[in-house]
Amino acid sequence: MIELTGLSKTFPAKGKDEPVDALKDVNLTIKDGEFLTILGPSGCGKTTLLRMIAGLMDWDDGEITVDGKPVRGPGPERAMVFQSFALLPWATVRDNVAFGLELRGVGKATRQARADELIDLVGLRGFEGRLPGQLSGGMQQRVGLARALAVDPKILLMDEPFGALDEQTRRLLQEELLQIWEATRKTVIFITHSMEEAVLLGDRVALMSPRPGRIVELVPVQLARPRASAVDAIEGSAEFAQITASLWRQLREMQLFRRHTAQGRHGTPGAASAEDAASSEPAA
Amino acid sequence: MSSGPSSPSRSMTGGGFRPPSAALRAAIVGSPWTYRLLVLLVLGSAWELYARTAKLLLVPTFSGTVGALGGLIVDPRVWSAFLISNQSLVVGFVIALLVGIPLGLAAARFRRIESFVDPYLSILLVTPMAALIPIMIMAFGVQSLTPRVLLVIVFAIPVVIVNSRAGVRQVDPALIEMATSYGAGERQIWRRILLPGALPAIMTGVRLGLGRGITGMVIIELLMVAVGIGGLILNFQGKFQAAMLYALVVLVVLEALALVQVVRLVERKVAPWAHQTVLRE
Repeated sequence: MIELTGLSKTFPAKGKDEPVDALKDVNLTIKDGEFLTILGPSGCGKTTLLRMIAGLMDWDDGEITVDGKPVRGPGPERAMVFQSFALLPWATVRDNVAFGLELRGVGKATRQARADELIDLVGLRGFEGRLPGQLSGGMQQRVGLARALAVDPKILLMDEPFGALDEQTRRLLQEELLQIWEATRKTVIFITHSMEEAVLLGDRVALMSPRPGRIVELVPVQLARPRASAVDAIEGSAEFAQITASLWRQLREMQLFRRHTAQGRHGTPGAASAEDAASSEPAA
Repeated sequence: MSSGPSSPSRSMTGGGFRPPSAALRAAIVGSPWTYRLLVLLVLGSAWELYARTAKLLLVPTFSGTVGALGGLIVDPRVWSAFLISNQSLVVGFVIALLVGIPLGLAAARFRRIESFVDPYLSILLVTPMAALIPIMIMAFGVQSLTPRVLLVIVFAIPVVIVNSRAGVRQVDPALIEMATSYGAGERQIWRRILLPGALPAIMTGVRLGLGRGITGMVIIELLMVAVGIGGLILNFQGKFQAAMLYALVVLVVLEALALVQVVRLVERKVAPWAHQTVLRE
């Protein structure tokens, strides 16, 4: 179980820029085996939040615990999948997949056997000896996913993993991720800015608003599992349409509101900043 | 296309097949060496023409220079001159790498080291190195190897430092973050991420530094310490042996090209994934 309590973070002022409230009083509990998607407009602090859970970034106030233990840095029970894939360009697919194991001192034979297992799982058999530069984007992210699964973490942290892929590749990888997740039932925190992706994959969708980054709503998605084999039916269902539409209404609200306050600030000098306005008005 | 009744067979056989003479012609036309040799031929002819018509004492003919080159290669004086000069190159260049690469790497990652390296690096980059020669001779004497080695170092080391530093800086920060997220410490980040990531740029620095080191090696011998290759050049010049002088310069260029080519081969061997490298001087 992952628990975030009262998590806050302010990026200090830089030059002429005002300080930014990246996160403000975020409270969230993620159960074991849950697939949580975090949805929000760009700049809402969702990646910041994930990096904190990964132990890659400090925060000002609050606490993150995994199974009751406070997070003080990266740990073996968590593994991350990156939007930019973050593959070693000089290492083969096999060595990239085995990289996490190598860092943990696993012997060569063991880690390569384990790597080959996962290369199989993500459908890259035959590409073990290739370099990342010789692979398509979709294949590169399969390597990134295999690398994360290779260390057998309890928790997968996925930072817009399909954001850099084209639509068709993304849909294929969504199905594959569902299949893998439905077989392994790891706890997943998945960042996205796509409503459809958030609803298709998640058990719950955490909707975030920007500046300050807060969770404005937790939307349960009660679509039946397993979903991997029924993606078409799910996307055609009334419930899917209804949830995505409601999420979009709120997201659009946030964007319009932000534009409105930005204009107001430019129009009348000395007017309340976007942050002040946001905190004085109830969320839509 | 000239598809007349005179060549019906060409349209019958279609694409793919070509008579061997045509293939050979294509290979000659397509090869860069054809054009390189052509340029050499044009320049050589112009040189030959100028030297024959002007008849200057210190301008040998192209053919005379090529002939002298053959003579120099078997001349023991030339071999000993190259041996003496290359002493300073080998010692100086190795020191430049041993100091320059670690310094560049450290400067890229540690702000404090960067802050004290940077001003001196700027000075090294803007100083006309030849101006240092009299200073070094006065400090270390004409006979000693030290000023020659030092000059090779000051010529070579700035590009080595700058490229090593650039190499570490251009490593994708996402890779460092990735390694950290899988539990890597600073040592592992250096070994697994920063060094391999910086390797192509480091090798570029080695290659550029080598070229500059060779320049430094010859310049000090020409300007101050008349030994080695530089000494021999001055010797030929004094005796008005123009063809020998020109041929010797060609030999120096050939050595430099050969050494740089060796570094290129090493580069391709140790960093085959990097076809694109940062090129900075």
